[in-house]
Amino acid sequence: MTPSDDDNNSLVFEFKIRMSSLITIALILGADPQPIDFAHDVLPILKAHCVECHGGDKAEGGFSLNTRELLLDAKAAVPGNPVKSPLLERVLSTDPDEQMPPKDKPRLTAAQVDVLRRWIQEELPWQEGFTFAAARYEPPLLPRAVLLPPVVDGRANPVDRIVDRYLAEQKQPAPTPLSDASFLRRVYLDLVGLPPTPNQLAAFLADQNSDKRQHVIERLLADNTAYADHWMTFWSDLLRNANSGTGYIDGGRKHITAWLYKSLLENKPYNQFVHELIKPDGESEGFIRGIKWRGNVNASQTREVQFSQNISQVFLGINMKCASCHDSFIDRWTLDEAYGLAAIYSAEPLEIYRCDKPTGEIAKAAWIFPKLGEIDPAAAQPQRLEQLADLMTHPENGRLSRTIVNRLWRQLMGRGIVHPVDAMHTRPWSEDLLDFLANYLVENNYDLKKVLALIANSQAYQSQAVVLHEEPADGFVYAGPIVKRLTAEQYMDAIWEITDTWPNAENRGPVAALLKAQQAADGKPRRVRAVFTALDPLQATLGRPNREQVVTSRPDLLTTLEAIHLANGDRLTDTLMRGAAHLLQTQQDAEVLVDQVFKHALTRSPTTAEAEIARDIVGPTPTQQSVADLLWLVFMLPEFQFIQ
Amino acid sequence: MQAPPSTTHEERRARREFLKALAASSAATLMSGVPRRLTAEEPVETPPATADSCILIWMAGGMAAPEMFDPKRYLPFEIGTPVEKIISTFPAIDTAVDNIKICAGLENLAGVMDRATLIRSHVQEDLGHILHSRHQYHWHTGYVPPQTVAAPHLGAWMAKLLGPRNPVIPPFINIGQRLEGHGESEELKAFTTAGFLGSEYGPFNLPFPEQAAAAVRPPKGMTGERFSSRYNALQRLIEKSPHSEYLSDYHQQSMLRSVDNAHRLLGSNDKQAFDLELEPRESFDKYNTGVFGRGCLLARRLVESGARFVEVTTEYIPFVHWDTHENGHTTVDRLHKEVDRPIAQLILDLETKGLLDRTLVVIASEFSRDMIIEGVPGSNARDQSRAKTDVLKEMKHYGLHRHFTGGSSVVMFGGGVKRGFLYGATAPERPCIAIENPVSISDLHATIYRAMGISPRAAFDIERRPFYVTKDGNGKPVADVFA
Repeated sequence: MTPSDDDNNSLVFEFKIRMSSLITIALILGADPQPIDFAHDVLPILKAHCVECHGGDKAEGGFSLNTRELLLDAKAAVPGNPVKSPLLERVLSTDPDEQMPPKDKPRLTAAQVDVLRRWIQEELPWQEGFTFAAARYEPPLLPRAVLLPPVVDGRANPVDRIVDRYLAEQKQPAPTPLSDASFLRRVYLDLVGLPPTPNQLAAFLADQNSDKRQHVIERLLADNTAYADHWMTFWSDLLRNANSGTGYIDGGRKHITAWLYKSLLENKPYNQFVHELIKPDGESEGFIRGIKWRGNVNASQTREVQFSQNISQVFLGINMKCASCHDSFIDRWTLDEAYGLAAIYSAEPLEIYRCDKPTGEIAKAAWIFPKLGEIDPAAAQPQRLEQLADLMTHPENGRLSRTIVNRLWRQLMGRGIVHPVDAMHTRPWSEDLLDFLANYLVENNYDLKKVLALIANSQAYQSQAVVLHEEPADGFVYAGPIVKRLTAEQYMDAIWEITDTWPNAENRGPVAALLKAQQAADGKPRRVRAVFTALDPLQATLGRPNREQVVTSRPDLLTTLEAIHLANGDRLTDTLMRGAAHLLQTQQDAEVLVDQVFKHALTRSPTTAEAEIARDIVGPTPTQQSVADLLWLVFMLPEFQFIQ
Repeated sequence: MQAPPSTTHEERRARREFLKALAASSAATLMSGVPRRLTAEEPVETPPATADSCILIWMAGGMAAPEMFDPKRYLPFEIGTPVEKIISTFPAIDTAVDNIKICAGLENLAGVMDRATLIRSHVQEDLGHILHSRHQYHWHTGYVPPQTVAAPHLGAWMAKLLGPRNPVIPPFINIGQRLEGHGESEELKAFTTAGFLGSEYGPFNLPFPEQAAAAVRPPKGMTGERFSSRYNALQRLIEKSPHSEYLSDYHQQSMLRSVDNAHRLLGSNDKQAFDLELEPRESFDKYNTGVFGRGCLLARRLVESGARFVEVTTEYIPFVHWDTHENGHTTVDRLHKEVDRPIAQLILDLETKGLLDRTLVVIASEFSRDMIIEGVPGSNARDQSRAKTDVLKEMKHYGLHRHFTGGSSVVMFGGGVKRGFLYGATAPERPCIAIENPVSISDLHATIYRAMGISPRAAFDIERRPFYVTKDGNGKPVADVFA
């Protein structure tokens, strides 16, 4: 900030004068017949002294004066009444805790204070449409055709054509290709959520076909059950779906578990999937119903407003949470737009509340991208939802397709093309890549598996993870995949798989019958994944959320409480002891056991040094206890807990 | 920022060694960039902390102020008495402070009220049709659910902002509340969490005080020797791992640090604080009025060993303990016996050990109770009494069976608050609403935070919005209660 020139030769306030007399002085000084001019009189003062902390994307103390409405929302000024306006009071205050600008910043001159006083007196004239909010990147709405760069070194996958061009432009080295074994572990965990078994590993390594990676990707995605089991975690987080939780006590919530699982099993096209969530027919209605707690609820948390927030975040990567209380000062969305979406859902006329205070205005049902079409506010609620579902899944709605392909990219590559994934107004590191993937989804009838296959088949995916010394900050430059931590569910599933201690299909909530039927079909006991089990303390500490809110990222660091659970928790200890007993039933040779556990958990044999340490623990004659210790060691390794 | 330049194997190893050394001293500092600490534009002067530890004694289910610390006109049980005449069902007794009387049945607490600040004017928001856990959520986080982000518990804020006092004792310990197996457990779980601050700052839950030792012991069936040799082997394996180079440093370091922290606690002598069997018999017996009493003892032992924040609850289970929808008097008579002696003993022990001056002990509840009024006068809260009657016909009718949000009591001991001090008042007759110096949840929190040296405007940026330790940063400490 540069203080305005006035400051240098200004008369300094006599701070000891009482405020009332100050205002009198200001009145005399400001006896100017000209009405106040916002752009010429007020704007320079606000720019010089206020907006550094209270404008743009800064809102210190929760106060932003980006727009006149925000100023009024915060009750910083009472139009026509300077004496009752905290803004003027703060500007005049001599209390170091109260004064504005704060004590280490230059004060306003008497003349400047007078301008503000007259501005408030004249009811705060403001230039139509003016905002201090920074001009920011406005992402395109419609799909955009992408011209693919030429193929380099035979890397013909469209993802690689774009990424290779990007890496060259950024002068980044080409990433090192991933070995077969590391590829196999990554692709299994990413697509179906489990590590490959030693047999699957051996078969893959022995396969001499040059297209064996493509085949394994096809085979994994074609395993509908394993795919659906794994992706239940991602979608349950995203759609805030749990079979128990707050709200159920009063019937204020419904799950969509059965609908979701069936949709994943049949790989429902994403446009149809979204349509059924927004204009539900029975089983899928839980998503738009939100969570209703008993009692009175803040206006920004009613079901209608939750609807507005959730569909915006989940499908469009828009944070409507700010805008559902007042015009957002982090992006362009307004209170009216937030309520416009809410009114689509609302069965009754919906009054707009600003900062939890009624405004007297009734919201008009409206869609936020009118370029694609409009909602008829006079239509009945079911028709409005139908219209919204149509607009949301309109083939020209590039925001829907970009948002989901970005999420899928993040699941596989460790970080979004747009980051964070819920802030789709942020500039992607490659617009071409984002737009290409979005077009690809639409061209392939919204088949999510096709997008996953395209990414997994790229050299970009099949290269070694980059080593990060710290968490990437602003100005991120893509250099390759980033390691991902196993989710709580993947961690439990991997342990159950390796030790053959899967839970059974009893009491698994709304899908129990479905799971049992699957069991009957192939004759083998059904592997019931952790995602179908209740949230227990071990999974909770490993980062499985209770899904009270939409969750789009899991914690990627291990915490002390988790480590305590892993070191001495009963649940894990019991599992390891049972697992050790299972393993010993088929194998008693220490060396073979160690090799087998390493191979299954890490997709590689131990090195000589590792084998030595492991054999020390297992002892010459393995016991249930010593094998449990071996399992613990391997499951605690960072290499096991991350997907590299 | 450019992508990190590629480095050689040796450089990476050297860096890891350096970080490892660094990590040993910093237990819980390296957080992923989200959420980010905000610095307020107005530097709110937070006076230096007057307390290092905080014990929250939670009277779960709605502690009836007129049956505890705010006795009113007393009417004994008599068949035919109109219920609207009843305010208190216990007579008042004298305490160690001239102008403070509390209810009969609290004789031990009466003896230590000269160490206490008693606030009789705590008020809660009217949230309509009452759900205990929703009010408990509000009380423990300062925010009314639902919220668009997961709000952190009071203890999580302290864990995050102050860190552990003793690096091996978890900074936020929660004693006595089962989170499974009853009607509102999901709602309790929703606030028994560090929320967006991340599970590093979450509660270490000890639902059964007598089983606390097991929570920090090697798993059952494992000797200490085997436990440490297993950990040694892990360290050697990590050292020898051929794949460690491919792991991001910050991921791996976080993992190693956490595992190290865990093993430091599990291998430390300080973990004896968790073991109630090590308490001398005589002392144990003084506390042993039940699970709650043993919880108070455990809290004392943990604070002695360096815990930052401990909550001990009488336990919330719908319709049990303080949640008196019927049979109120009989239930409270039992509760008196359970809570009176251990709380008083906790205060005396902390004093004897020289810890009371720097330990803030707070007794609080989500709201009070009344014989007639549900919520506050004028609320749309539904009547939930299970003993509806106009006149007393049997003992189960006698007690405060409605939830009352208009005036409740909070007691504070030690940690820099005044001794033998009474603040605020409720009306002597129904409605017994706070008529002097009402203290909201935000302001009460600001007071507790001020004692702990935390500004009410401390905030984090989450999803690019500020989230304050007291709602919207507006909590104002009650300055009068500080000595």
